[in-house]
Amino acid sequence: MVVAASLVAAACGSSSSSTKTTGTAATGTTKVVSGTINGAGSTLAAPIYQQWGSTLKSHGLTVNYNPVGSGAGQTELGSAAIAFAGSDPSLTPADEAKMKGPVLQYPVAFGAITLSYNLPGIKSGLKLDGPTIADIFSGKITTWNNSAIKALNPGVNLPSTSITVVHRSDSSGTTQGFTTYLSDVDSSWKSTIGEGKDVKWPVGTGGKGNSGVAAVVHQTTGAVGYVEQAYALENNFTYAAVKNSAGSYVLPTIANTSAAASGIAVPANLAISTINSPNPSAYPIVSQTFLMAYEDPCKDGGLSSSTAAALKSWLSYAFGAGQTTLGAGSNQLPYAPLPASLAAKNNAQLATMVCNGSAIS
Amino acid sequence: MSITTLPQISAKRRRTDKVMRGSLVAGTVIALIPLILIIFYLLQKGLSTWSRSFFTTDPTGSFFGNPGGIRSAILGSLEIVALATIISIPIGIGVALYLTEYGKQSWFANTVRYFVDVMTGVPSIMFGLFIYIVLVTAHVGGVGFAAWKGAIALALLMLPIVVRSAEVVLLVVPSSLREAALALGAPRWRVVFRVVLPTAASGLVTGSLLAVARGMGETAPLLFTVSTAFGLTFNLSHQMNTMPFLIYNYIQSPRAVIQGLAWGAALTLVVIVLILNIIARAIAGRSRMT
Amino acid sequence: MEASATTVTGGRSVLERSPVARLPDRVLKWGLSALAAAILILIGYFFVRLLDESHGVFTKYGLSFVFGNNWDVSANIYHGAALLFGTIVTSAIALIIGVPVAVASALFISELCPRRARGPLSILVDLLAAVPSVVYGLWGVFVLCPHLLPAEKWFARTFSFIPWIGGGIPQLYNYFIAGLILAIMILPIVSAISREVIATVPPENKEAALALGATRWEMIRMTVLPYSRPGITGGAMLGLGRALGETIAVVLVIGAAPVIGHHLFSQGYSLAAVIANEFGEATGIHTSALFAAGTVLFVLTLIVNVIARWFVSRGAHGTRGTGATGMTIASAPAAEK
Repeated sequence: MVVAASLVAAACGSSSSSTKTTGTAATGTTKVVSGTINGAGSTLAAPIYQQWGSTLKSHGLTVNYNPVGSGAGQTELGSAAIAFAGSDPSLTPADEAKMKGPVLQYPVAFGAITLSYNLPGIKSGLKLDGPTIADIFSGKITTWNNSAIKALNPGVNLPSTSITVVHRSDSSGTTQGFTTYLSDVDSSWKSTIGEGKDVKWPVGTGGKGNSGVAAVVHQTTGAVGYVEQAYALENNFTYAAVKNSAGSYVLPTIANTSAAASGIAVPANLAISTINSPNPSAYPIVSQTFLMAYEDPCKDGGLSSSTAAALKSWLSYAFGAGQTTLGAGSNQLPYAPLPASLAAKNNAQLATMVCNGSAIS
Repeated sequence: MSITTLPQISAKRRRTDKVMRGSLVAGTVIALIPLILIIFYLLQKGLSTWSRSFFTTDPTGSFFGNPGGIRSAILGSLEIVALATIISIPIGIGVALYLTEYGKQSWFANTVRYFVDVMTGVPSIMFGLFIYIVLVTAHVGGVGFAAWKGAIALALLMLPIVVRSAEVVLLVVPSSLREAALALGAPRWRVVFRVVLPTAASGLVTGSLLAVARGMGETAPLLFTVSTAFGLTFNLSHQMNTMPFLIYNYIQSPRAVIQGLAWGAALTLVVIVLILNIIARAIAGRSRMT
Repeated sequence: MEASATTVTGGRSVLERSPVARLPDRVLKWGLSALAAAILILIGYFFVRLLDESHGVFTKYGLSFVFGNNWDVSANIYHGAALLFGTIVTSAIALIIGVPVAVASALFISELCPRRARGPLSILVDLLAAVPSVVYGLWGVFVLCPHLLPAEKWFARTFSFIPWIGGGIPQLYNYFIAGLILAIMILPIVSAISREVIATVPPENKEAALALGATRWEMIRMTVLPYSRPGITGGAMLGLGRALGETIAVVLVIGAAPVIGHHLFSQGYSLAAVIANEFGEATGIHTSALFAAGTVLFVLTLIVNVIARWFVSRGAHGTRGTGATGMTIASAPAAEK
């Protein structure tokens, strides 16, 4: 992984002949078309797209990405203000109706949602299962030495500190992933609070963004909150091992996150969901993130044919050489890459993208 | 009462005087405490990121490599706010002039005054959303997001501040000055441009500076109108990088290095506005009455 | 200016002006009037678009959008009383704390402090306006909230007998912190405008008061404050506007709980904050609800402005913009005896 990434970097540095026109074989086998494309959407995937954008810049392709939120990204794609949208949740039929034409969705990466806590003396790996987490976040369990938590963790000296629940104050795909998981594993959660980008939390403090939740968890002893994997790993948080559908307690490592993407049902439009994956080694709370663009971005998205070609090469890079930048290595972005089968399906779908009816080179 | 029998200042009055003067001092100190704390905090967290490359290179967006500097954000902010200022200040002062010189207390002027006041209470994000609906989704000018649309959103934000503060300042220009000029035969327009405006200049500059400072520091109006770009561009029809957006974006990054850059940018923003303040005050000079 | 008092070059009487010479005046007058009208139309259009985007949720809920109390996004239910409550409370706190401090600092800088210190002190207070709103919010999150929490806990315990203000368990993010940060944010506006107005009080008035034996404070109270009151109120209104509409700083420190908090230190929400938090992910009727929140805020500002104007017009004694001050100096010292 690291070797491949450095090869890419070396190739970029040495290609001096093809700069302003089409860059040949500059990034693995992906042909990079120069131009400028604009995107917006998911905050979870923002570091990925911004990193890829900086790599591609030297090959003439400028990518501007505004992490304004999955919903706004979809809205902006719907008004053709941007060329592509980043979104964690896939499009519902209602969302699709708002678009100017058929939209193709491409899963791009996966990020786990960790349960990070602040308990001095207790390291990562505290065992929690779905119903217990649901009870904590609905306020039924209020102290750390509650019998339910103790039963899952024999031998761990749990303090009597009261639990401070921390959730997101802003609407987010992360909240959606987390609450979908809770609805899946706990029927009382499903009927009372439900799932969504924003729910009515019965208890707890709201922090804005991952950094907001992290700040509160950091400052409050006994706090527990759900934080995206990239954030938790980069800042060395302590997080829980969660029981998955096969019954094992799994830590949110990159490997366990990748496992969530294998063995799930893949519909024809590639609108997958990795929550509560059936894979026995998978971490159960994993969110997917999509790149979305029009099937005919010239007709529906108002792009010129050269911009559409640039868009296609961006997407091709995303499922191709770009995937080598994701992983657990020290020089990689802390997200789980696509399994090869999904990447192949993406490429097949990408081949159907046209410009005003005719194929894009 | 003759001069020789002026009452002595009683002890009670002396005490009241001391107490109230003390409370005025206390009020000023209280006003300055948060400033000192914030500046100290910004220096503590942001100064270490300042370097030559910080100001001369653009952000790269790179996650684990060199994150680059903030040059495109500084220049982008200056350009957009400059455009917003060119739009809002002449219009704002013009409306204020109308209200003080011609409209006065007529029902029309009162209506304008009233609604301008109401505009000051609109959340900044609403201006951004308004421009988004009116200009961005309709692809006015052939593009979706564009820097000039963000400038208009900012101008909408700044306009009520300019109008209100200019009106306050224009009102305290004594009518005796106006009357004197009119009595000497000067036409109305000359009175306005040669007497009223120069007298109020210092106050007008203060009000305008408040508006500009506000414009430089607002994120929400730019989110849905300008979006962002990492690279440097001067083209107002394109997406552009801006300081508040960069701060807002970087502070949420998982990487501590990038968060540090956000604080460095925040410190830079404060310094820029301070410099603008000093320059503008120097230009306005001392045209105050007393 | 003309040398003779009654004639101008060309022999015309100064009182006569040719139609050509009158033209610039008319151009100016009608130009400025048109400008003011254009601004009014723009504001009207803004309001109309706002209503247009929000009518979906108003047709569904009617007035219970404003006065009902249940903001539940996942269930698609939107009643925003808690938001309205939060906006009013935080703005009230901001005014109560911010305006007296701002006016005090303006008075000190203009009247009491040494002349040389005036410039630097002014620039320092105005520097508060240079700090971007997002930085205020972040400073609140990282510094103010954790450091004030122990003091808030002490206050809530000690003053628990006062309804709403005391008692309860202080949260990390609460109304008070939001109001406090708003107070700091409106300080420079109110102070700067107050300073400008106070500086234009005619010195004769002040000297007259002092000459008649008033103490420094009495002079301020009798001459400076009445003369500057309309201007200071104008500044306070600008500050209030800022407090009502401030988005980013509040959203970071109010806790985003769509409930009507029971204490000063409870979590809450505000109309502006909910838009910032939820717009990024909103679709359909949710978007309409957020625009409706903006409309409610607009209407709230309308109402507040009416009340403030009435308040000002009650107190003003025709001191606006003229040299007269209409006060009674001689009676004050006599009454003190």
